[in-house]
Amino acid sequence: MIRWKPAFTEAFDHSFKGLILIGFAALILYLWQTGDMLLYIAPDLVPYVVAASVVLLALAGSQFRLAARSLREKVVVCDCGHDHEHDHGAAGHRQGGTRLLLKKSGIYGLFLLPLLLGAALPNTAFAGALAVNKGMNMGAVPVDDGKADLELVELEGNVDSGLKELFRTQPYNLDYAKLGMLLYQQDLIEMKDQWFIEKLEAINRFVDNFQGKTIQITGFVYRDKQLPGGQLIVGRMAMTHCIADIAPYGMIVETPSADDYANDTWITVTGTIGKTQAGGRDIMKIVATDIEAAEPSAVPYVYPDINFASKL
Amino acid sequence: MENTTMQRRTASSRTNLFAAVSLLIILGLYLFSSKASGTWLADPKLQLFKTLFISIMLEAMPFILVGVIVSALLHVFVSDAMIRRFIPSNPVLGILTATVLGILFPICECGMVPAIRNLIRKGMPTHVAAAFILVGPIINPIVFWSTFTAFRSHPEMAYMRMGLAFVIAFLVGLIVYRFVRFDPLREAKNAPISHAHEHAHAHHQHHDQHDADHEHSQAHRSGKIAEVMGHAVSEFFDMGKFLLIGAILVGLLQTFVSNADLMALGHGPGSSNALMMVLGFMLSLCSTSDAFVAQSFLNTFDKGALLAFMVFGPMLNLKSLLMMLAVFKARFVLIIGACVTVLVYVGSLLVLN
Repeated sequence: MIRWKPAFTEAFDHSFKGLILIGFAALILYLWQTGDMLLYIAPDLVPYVVAASVVLLALAGSQFRLAARSLREKVVVCDCGHDHEHDHGAAGHRQGGTRLLLKKSGIYGLFLLPLLLGAALPNTAFAGALAVNKGMNMGAVPVDDGKADLELVELEGNVDSGLKELFRTQPYNLDYAKLGMLLYQQDLIEMKDQWFIEKLEAINRFVDNFQGKTIQITGFVYRDKQLPGGQLIVGRMAMTHCIADIAPYGMIVETPSADDYANDTWITVTGTIGKTQAGGRDIMKIVATDIEAAEPSAVPYVYPDINFASKL
Repeated sequence: MENTTMQRRTASSRTNLFAAVSLLIILGLYLFSSKASGTWLADPKLQLFKTLFISIMLEAMPFILVGVIVSALLHVFVSDAMIRRFIPSNPVLGILTATVLGILFPICECGMVPAIRNLIRKGMPTHVAAAFILVGPIINPIVFWSTFTAFRSHPEMAYMRMGLAFVIAFLVGLIVYRFVRFDPLREAKNAPISHAHEHAHAHHQHHDQHDADHEHSQAHRSGKIAEVMGHAVSEFFDMGKFLLIGAILVGLLQTFVSNADLMALGHGPGSSNALMMVLGFMLSLCSTSDAFVAQSFLNTFDKGALLAFMVFGPMLNLKSLLMMLAVFKARFVLIIGACVTVLVYVGSLLVLN
């Protein structure tokens, strides 16, 4: 056995790991504080990630303690078959040392990369650039293969019976019927951050009921290849969990001045709801009466709310 | 011993090579986009990549921390005998137990892999582990609920997803039980933990090392906590590098390959199923969120293809494949991967026809 001496390499290793852990925690807390975290993950997930930063800090603390201890006393190598990189023959020792160093810097470099990227590059919201990669959802109602003969039901509760009759639907669509009735009674249907997708789906499911209704939508301009002249799409990006699952949702807007609006610019469109075809199915369109330039929304994305019906 | 050390060294140097290559790719991207000097920082592709990379990392962080801490707790507090008592020796019952475990521990695959390594070391049979790793990310209440709500007009999708995942995990478990006769872990069983980059951490304070004035039991307890934390950190760095490489690759793929182009590749019943499986593999989504993505393809593909996407993705994706390769022998991952691929493809075609 070699005589014990202060283990500077180990102390350095532990401290460096501690620093990386603190770096991750700092990145999380910084994004949380500035509110930019919503550019990366959905609000549901934020508490978990913030809690993770606390755990990271605790783990970092343990690494510093370990570093301090390995300078003070011998921290015994555990009984569990470590790979002792420094433990090969005397001849290969020097060479092993450099290889180890290279390898370590490679691994630490990998962990530093997200921290560097996070610090060096500004946080930005994505709109059209990603929509091109993902393909726009326009709320075309899925085909009801063979289920069309399913018994239609009406919503219970004290709503006007004529209205209930209008929104008769399959049992699984009742949530949308409820939202649809609410929108139906509004003078102006506003498409804002809250329930953007849900409203889009509700209107498209009962598109005949909404003909001629006035609607206002704010979003970014998008075009896809099939779109004829005189039309553009106004959309928002929807995020369920993180950027990887982001998907664009939008409405077709019909206006003679469609060419005046560049892709990715934000506009507010006011108009009446009409009907058009996409992929062989009826979907809504907006016949624009007024288009104004708009500021990008303060909330970068819209988030699907699976429990929206219970909040109405 | 000499031999396994050598093996491990080559394996880990392969990992490093991979890491180095990935870094070079990034560097290449930097330079590539720097047509005018100084503008590369604002390049939209780089921005997109960075956002994807950090987003995936942030999303996975809580889950991987839970995974490494559970793993460390298992290592320190759970004995081999307890595991053996808990898991029935009958293979069928053992595999069924694994599916229940998934319901009890709703963690996704980022947390699953580190935990499973420790369970195998503690004597969990390979076939049970294989079933658990496949079923865990799918058969759990959170995933069921999110699938059910995403496909509210097709409630059968949620049931079929659970059912198909169960059948596939069960079959793979049986195949592994019948045919896999080797130790699936990359390092030998008698070397319970290998942190290639790690030298030492405070595990057991040997008795002769104790300071005379230390209260014995207190030293022991704080020793245990330090042990858990030490293990958690080394496992975090061990698994983390694979997660990061996975996040880099997913980020690059999503930046440069568009779904729309992929979609153009196949629309027939057979090819669309294969296509959605490729997409599931590439996107590496968390199993709790992929149902919403699948749902957006409802108008493009038939339900069998979406089912293939939602079953294959959580079982095998770019991110989890890298993490599995870190823990298991390539041969074992290959067997599992091949079985899952064939079974999901056939299963998703059969289910809806």
